[in-house]
Formats: sequence, structure tokens, C-alpha cells
Amino acid sequence: MKKTSFFKIFLTTFIISLAVLPIILSNKSWPTLARDYLFNQAFNETGASNTVSSIYLGYRLMDTLGETLVLLVAITGTMSILLNLHKQTLESVETESSLSPEKRPQNALRTNLVEVVASKLGPIILLFGLYVMLYGHISPGGGFQGGVIVASAIVFLALGTEVKTKLTNSVVLSRIEAFSFISLILVTTYVVFFTDGFFSSIATDSPFVSASIIILLNIIIGLKVGTSLAVMIIAMMGGQHAH
Amino acid sequence: MLIERVLIFLIFITGFIGLISMKNIIKKIIGLNLLNSAVVLLFILEASRIGDKAPILNDKIQNIVDPIPQALMLTAIVIGVCVTALSLAMSVRLYKTTGSLDITIIKERLENEY
Amino acid sequence: MNILLLSLILCLAIFSLIAKDLLHSIIALSAISILSALLFTFLKAPDVAITEAAVGVGVSTIIYVWAIRHTKRKDEEK
Repeated sequence: MKKTSFFKIFLTTFIISLAVLPIILSNKSWPTLARDYLFNQAFNETGASNTVSSIYLGYRLMDTLGETLVLLVAITGTMSILLNLHKQTLESVETESSLSPEKRPQNALRTNLVEVVASKLGPIILLFGLYVMLYGHISPGGGFQGGVIVASAIVFLALGTEVKTKLTNSVVLSRIEAFSFISLILVTTYVVFFTDGFFSSIATDSPFVSASIIILLNIIIGLKVGTSLAVMIIAMMGGQHAH
Repeated sequence: MLIERVLIFLIFITGFIGLISMKNIIKKIIGLNLLNSAVVLLFILEASRIGDKAPILNDKIQNIVDPIPQALMLTAIVIGVCVTALSLAMSVRLYKTTGSLDITIIKERLENEY
Repeated sequence: MNILLLSLILCLAIFSLIAKDLLHSIIALSAISILSALLFTFLKAPDVAITEAAVGVGVSTIIYVWAIRHTKRKDEEK
């Protein structure tokens, strides 16, 4: 049994490496046409100094919309499997990582050290996440990066119990997520049909705001990604009925 | 420069062998994650050959790297984490139904039930 | 410098597939993400480095640990 399966694994690996090997051994040089065009024209057309932001929020915005949709579908599927799972086994498990305070003496995994440190670090990381999200057009960062950091900050706030805030309530977070998804669809529809494409600016006659579409899209995408990941992780820890 | 590409090719083959020959489902998903990481590493390595400065424009920057593969790999990383999350949720559901994480035991238990 | 980091990533990848305790595999996967983020900084790609560090260490590790908690932690392979 072991010998035949070893032969099959070797044969499959050999065929796959024959398919991939021309990429490894090729000697062609990388073309520089796209880099030269973007170096000369990207700042004048979109107004953003960060070239990577101007690509995925300016020249190829449709790919970003598709990726946001894939994230939404994946998190919806994971949440539906999760909630059915916890409903089945709620009577038999002693809920060792739940967020309600009266179960804490039976719990060896969450000590005082974790709770105090997490509740003090949470607001600092939230501020840093908002900074990365808002300055995405002139320094490395942007919507997705800031959104994931905001999600980590909300999980920290949920782990510490000295913080009384509505930001870890699942109902509030899912309302923010629905609002930002609807406004994403509205903004892109308005920009495509009523102005002249993805390179226009919303505030048309203010001289010190350039790249305003990119800033608005960064805020909307960051809020959507951050809150949806935070809702999924709080449901994994068992605390969606904690408030 | 050839050595780096051969090392990335070996990471790709490690992920692929992990995907097809491990019996535990969680190790198969780890192999899928390694495949994703290898492809992202290859693209960013190739994009950094034609320049020597990061793609943030300024008045004095002259010779930037290629920014297009970096924008494509942002999408690829996010989709990789989506696939991982959904497949891990499905494997926990399989464990609750059949009681094991081994694919041969899962296959015979599911054949006996249905 | 690139060759050293890539060979460390290859050793960690082989270790994460043959470990008997699944928690060791998850910690090796998280270390691969951090070394990849360092490598992306050396290759002049700061956006991809921030994304890989935040996603690979934060979100992906949490999901793997949740999956192990509700199933078995040891991999009994004969």
C-alpha cells in the first residue's frame, strides 16, 4: 500500500514540476513599459502619491469591487456554519473561552495578565489602524491594511473586561458593515454614471483636496473589512450574546 | 538569482506534496496556504529586479520598482485568507458529524451512514 | 540576505507538515508569515509587507487555533 501511493505521489509531482519549470528557467527580461507610463502619469491622473493605491483604486477599481464581494460571501458562509455549530453543542460544552464574566473562575486560559494588557492596548491600536486607513494615498497603507488592524483592535477590546463600550456589540458592528457596503455601491454607481469615470474628484472646486475619490473609497473599504472580520472572530469566541 | 527561484520552487513542491499526501485535513489546508505564499513570493521577487526604490512618488525619486504585481498580490493575499476560513469551518463541521479528522475514516463512516 | 530568509522559510515549511502536535504547525505557519513580511520589506514592497504581516499573523492564526480547539489537537498518524 505504501509503495503504490509513493509511486503515484512521485508521478504527480513530476508532471506538475514539468509544467512549472519553464517559469523557473526562463531568461527573458521583465518589460518596463508599464512602469515608465505609471511613473510619468499616475500622479497627474489620479492625484495619489502612492502608486500601488492609484492602481487598485483608480485604474483597476473593478477588481477591488470583486474582491470585496468575495470577502462578503466567504464571511457569510463561515458565520452560517459557525452559528449552527454553536447552537448544537451549547448544552454540553462548558464554554471555556466565552466572554461573559461569570464563567471566568473555571477558565484557565484567560488570566488577569491577558485581560489587563489587552484592554490597555486596544485604543492605541485602534488609533493606529485609523491612521493607516486615512493616509493611504501618500504613504504605504490603505483600505485593507487599515481595516485588518482595526479588526485586531476590536478583538483586543473584546478580550479585556475593564472596557465598557458598544464597539464590541455584534448588532452595532453588523449595522456599520451593512451601511458601508451600501455606500460603496452608491459611490461607484454615482461616479460611473454621473461624472466622467473613476478619475474625477467629488469636491470639484476645492484647491487643496486632490484624490478625494481615493480617500473616500479607503474609508469605506476599511470600515467594511474591519467590522466584518471583527464580527466573525467575536462569534468564534462565543461572545455574540454578551451584551 | 537562479538560486532564489529554485528555493521558491521547492516551497511550491512542499505545499503541493502536503496537499495530496497528508491524511489529516488540517495539514492539507496548511499545504494550500503554503502554495499561496510561494506564488506571492515569486511575483514580488520578479517585480523587484527592474528598479531600486519603493513606489512612493516624490520630487527626487528616479528609478522605482514595478508597482503592478504588488497591487495584484494584495488581492491574492485577501482571497487566500477567505478560502482558508471557509475550508476550516467546513472541516470542523465534518468532525462534528463523523468524529474523526482522518480522510480514510471519514470516507468509510460517511459511506456507512448514507 | 534573500537566500538566507528563503531557506529559513523552506525549513519551517517542511517542519510544519511533519509535526505531530498541530499547535506546533500553526506556530510555524505564523513564523513563515513574519519572515515573508521581512522579505517583502527588503524587496521594496511596503504595501504587501503590511498586508501580509497583519493578515498572516493576526487573522489566519486565530482561525486555525479556533479550528484546533473544536477538534483534536494531536495528529495520530500510524
